[in-house]
Amino acid sequence: MNRLLLASLVSLAVLAAGPPVRAAEGTLKIGAPQPMTGPDAPFGDKFKKAYSLAVEEINAAGGVQGKKLEVILEDHQAKNALAATVAEKLITQEKVLILTGGRASGQAVEIASVAQRLKTPYLVDHPSADIITAKGFEWVFRNNPTGSIYPQAFNKFISEVPGAMPKSAAVIYDNTVFGKTIANSAMTFLKSKGVPIVNDEAYPLNTLDFKPIVTKVKANNPDFVLMVAVATTDAILLTRHAKEIGLKPRAYVGFGGGFGVADFAGQLGPLAQNVFSSAAWSGNPNDGATKAFYDKFHGKYGIYPKEHEVEGYAAIYIVADALKRAKLTGNVEADREAIRQALLKTDMTTVFGKVKFGNYKGPLGDEYTNQNVYSPEHSVLAQWKDGKLQNVWPKQNAETAYTFPDVM
Amino acid sequence: METFVQSLVSGVLTGSLYAMIGVGLTVIFGVMRIINLAHGEMVMLGMFGAYWSWTLWRVDPFVSGILWVPVLFLAGMLAYRFLVRPIVPGGELNTLLYTAGLSLLVANLALLLWTGDYRTLNLPYAAQPLRPLGISVPVPLFVAFALAALLTLGLYLFLARTDLGRAVRATSQDQEAAALMGIDVDRIATFTFGLGTALAGAAGVLLVPSLYLYPTVGEILVVKCFVVVVLGGLGSIPGAIAGGVLLGLVESLGAVYVSVAYKDALGFLIFLSVLLFRPQGLFGTRA
Amino acid sequence: MRRLLPAAAALLLFALPLLTSNQFLLHLGVSVLLWTTLGVAWNLLGGYAGQVSFGHAAFFGAGAYTTMILYLSRGVSPWWGMLAGGAVGAALALPIGLTCFRLRGPYFSLATLAVAEIVRLVALNWESLTAGPVGLLITALPRVTLLGRDLNWERKEPFFAIAAAIAVGAMLAARWVSRSRLGGSLLAIREDEDAAEAIGIDTTRAKVAALMASAFLAGVAGGFYGLYYRYVDPDAVFPISLSVEMVFIAVVGGLRTVAGPVVGAVFLATVAELFRDRFTVGHLIFYGLFMMIVIRWLPEGIWGRALRLLPSRREP
Repeated sequence: MNRLLLASLVSLAVLAAGPPVRAAEGTLKIGAPQPMTGPDAPFGDKFKKAYSLAVEEINAAGGVQGKKLEVILEDHQAKNALAATVAEKLITQEKVLILTGGRASGQAVEIASVAQRLKTPYLVDHPSADIITAKGFEWVFRNNPTGSIYPQAFNKFISEVPGAMPKSAAVIYDNTVFGKTIANSAMTFLKSKGVPIVNDEAYPLNTLDFKPIVTKVKANNPDFVLMVAVATTDAILLTRHAKEIGLKPRAYVGFGGGFGVADFAGQLGPLAQNVFSSAAWSGNPNDGATKAFYDKFHGKYGIYPKEHEVEGYAAIYIVADALKRAKLTGNVEADREAIRQALLKTDMTTVFGKVKFGNYKGPLGDEYTNQNVYSPEHSVLAQWKDGKLQNVWPKQNAETAYTFPDVM
Repeated sequence: METFVQSLVSGVLTGSLYAMIGVGLTVIFGVMRIINLAHGEMVMLGMFGAYWSWTLWRVDPFVSGILWVPVLFLAGMLAYRFLVRPIVPGGELNTLLYTAGLSLLVANLALLLWTGDYRTLNLPYAAQPLRPLGISVPVPLFVAFALAALLTLGLYLFLARTDLGRAVRATSQDQEAAALMGIDVDRIATFTFGLGTALAGAAGVLLVPSLYLYPTVGEILVVKCFVVVVLGGLGSIPGAIAGGVLLGLVESLGAVYVSVAYKDALGFLIFLSVLLFRPQGLFGTRA
Repeated sequence: MRRLLPAAAALLLFALPLLTSNQFLLHLGVSVLLWTTLGVAWNLLGGYAGQVSFGHAAFFGAGAYTTMILYLSRGVSPWWGMLAGGAVGAALALPIGLTCFRLRGPYFSLATLAVAEIVRLVALNWESLTAGPVGLLITALPRVTLLGRDLNWERKEPFFAIAAAIAVGAMLAARWVSRSRLGGSLLAIREDEDAAEAIGIDTTRAKVAALMASAFLAGVAGGFYGLYYRYVDPDAVFPISLSVEMVFIAVVGGLRTVAGPVVGAVFLATVAELFRDRFTVGHLIFYGLFMMIVIRWLPEGIWGRALRLLPSRREP
């Protein structure tokens, strides 16, 4: 028995102690904590694909300052404490020049806090909680819009399209930072327009049965149904159950990750038809460069990129641009400061859109630091049509005409 | 009124699936006093079996179950023989942590094999729900409910009428007495572990057209499953069914009439009160 | 020998800052010490009294939130805040103990799990107090001067010293309890609760006392977590997985041993870090396998087995 024990422990030890995949020498290292295991694993994978493509392209074109870029991914399992550990490791052990990634807000807050203390720039590419850029962290930059900006395109739509102002609205959102922020932002705007909120329902993450909630909502017969889901699974079930119960508002409007990923239509089929999604956009599809990127990504991975992939891909280009302009000396600490200075002067266009970091006030009164000043334009209202998510508002970014009211 | 009936119907339908997951756990606990934390992963395996049969060969999950349930039955027996049995003498706590390790192992193997993508299985006949009297009843949920009821009835008859079933019940009541009566307790334990695993797999197969699946989906099922089993009384099959339906109803009516945000807390509160005032569960007998 | 070994191991661990200034190693050291404290706390009740709790995250989280809230809204120094966190943990333990201890065996375990989930849901929804899912973030810690010098909170050394002090304090407390009358009562309860009752031990009182002591330690550890990681949200400090991890540390180290949790925490942290470093996606497969192997062949825990092999009398 003891021999068996010894054998298994030794073999595990050998496995663990074998030479890990170490970073190559002489590269410019970018650290990316992402969830590679656990319930968020699909998102880690999306970013991994996006980063690889961008790094490949940049390196094929000669790299930056004669050196190749390298992204080091570390798994944080969607756990806050582990996100902090992984960020520490990337900064102090791997000596990365800059961090990106994070995926969910809780983990991103920890990464931002570590980055701020250890004086390493952190370019947030997807996490959206306002708090991340609202605490005066001068080492933290964010390209994507904050949660409270997500509903901007929807707000414009109901204000600008004749007859679209809701007569009443039901708001159903997950009880997370993400859900809460977006719901607050949307409800603040609706209330300012005198729209009665007939339901304000915060549901627990991973709810298995939404039928009771939508039954309750149906009794109030709302004119608009606003749904927020950070988890794709919640978005799918919520929409499915709402339609099954026979809730028939003039518009179903989804906010957030769950409603903007290809899985949503893939899994719901015809039930996804005409559902709106107001979110961070996936770049302007009418722009040639963005279109070319979509095709290239599809060619390599067989799927069309959405919000997450576009954000991840754009992040690497923003980092590369800053690295290009920074005067790198080989002294990690000095280089990090140089990169931070370079990021402060960033003024470029990526597939995600224009980016320039600045300080301003958000829709709910948060004082942002180093938040992309174009963020308010990076919210788009899209609509699911025959399995494709197409932008419908604002007009200059529209790919097709909107269908409203929804007669499905 | 319509709201009330609708939440009642939804509660019972969802509750029957909770019950289905709970039954497997309670059967295993009844005989071996093992709380199997890997139970959720067994459900997940059943789900993936049904999912792949549908995606690759277009076999309806309610049909492919005929294959996957026996496969999981065998897998459960093997897992007991070679993995779980040596641990049992170490005590309940060790067994429990051991199955926690097993659950990590299985879920992450699935992650490696099938990626973490969220998947759903859409049956063509499931697009429109039935609408008797204006109440919405999703088709796959209804079929699952009916099959779950049949399966449980079968299980009940098996335990009540067959020799093997009687041996299982005897072992669950008193191991030593069962051994004295000439029952091979070890064989019964192996069989029961297989049975519990097969029931978990069956629950997975039945759930998949109404839910979604991904490798770590077991995590969100297993806690509910505990609540269900304890509500009814650990080890009691009718108890697990009653517990499942009760939890389904509490969550459903709680969400409509109390608070959506606190519906889960309400479930736990009822669970706690049952524990305190009737620790043997609604249907259990005091040990 | 058996007295020297743990002392030497402990010294080696606590002397880590003298041996290395590698901030990441020290960070791992801090998290090992935090887990040690939690393992010791859980062991007080789960090991000595045999009452398996699956809800210790409730006390940890309550401590973490208390410390953060006192600092952010009342400006109470976090060092006092940690003690307050422990006190709140212990206070929470009183009603929980009085209700849950009416149950025995797996029923008690499941009741604690339900209580912890209820506490989590309350923390999630009581927004005016806890900021709900948004969580609480500290951006700067107060200045502390020691021997005329400012402590540098950007370095790990001060945190390491505090974590080590908490862990040692917890271990001394455990040692003291195990040798006290209370410890004797707890052991008697673990062996046979009815018999303990029959020889005149007030079992409920003893168990509640052990739970409160255990919850106090968990609460202090929670307070430390808040300061060290500077951000708490309900999912981070109240999850079921945290409760289970505490159990696992105590069991892997060795139940009813004072040094067991240190061994368990060091082992598990090292193994987790090594596997994660090696495999980006598959590391939890090996971690699960490791859990199974240890329990399969070392059911009395690593330190428990070591004690048995070392030539001397049993540790009390």
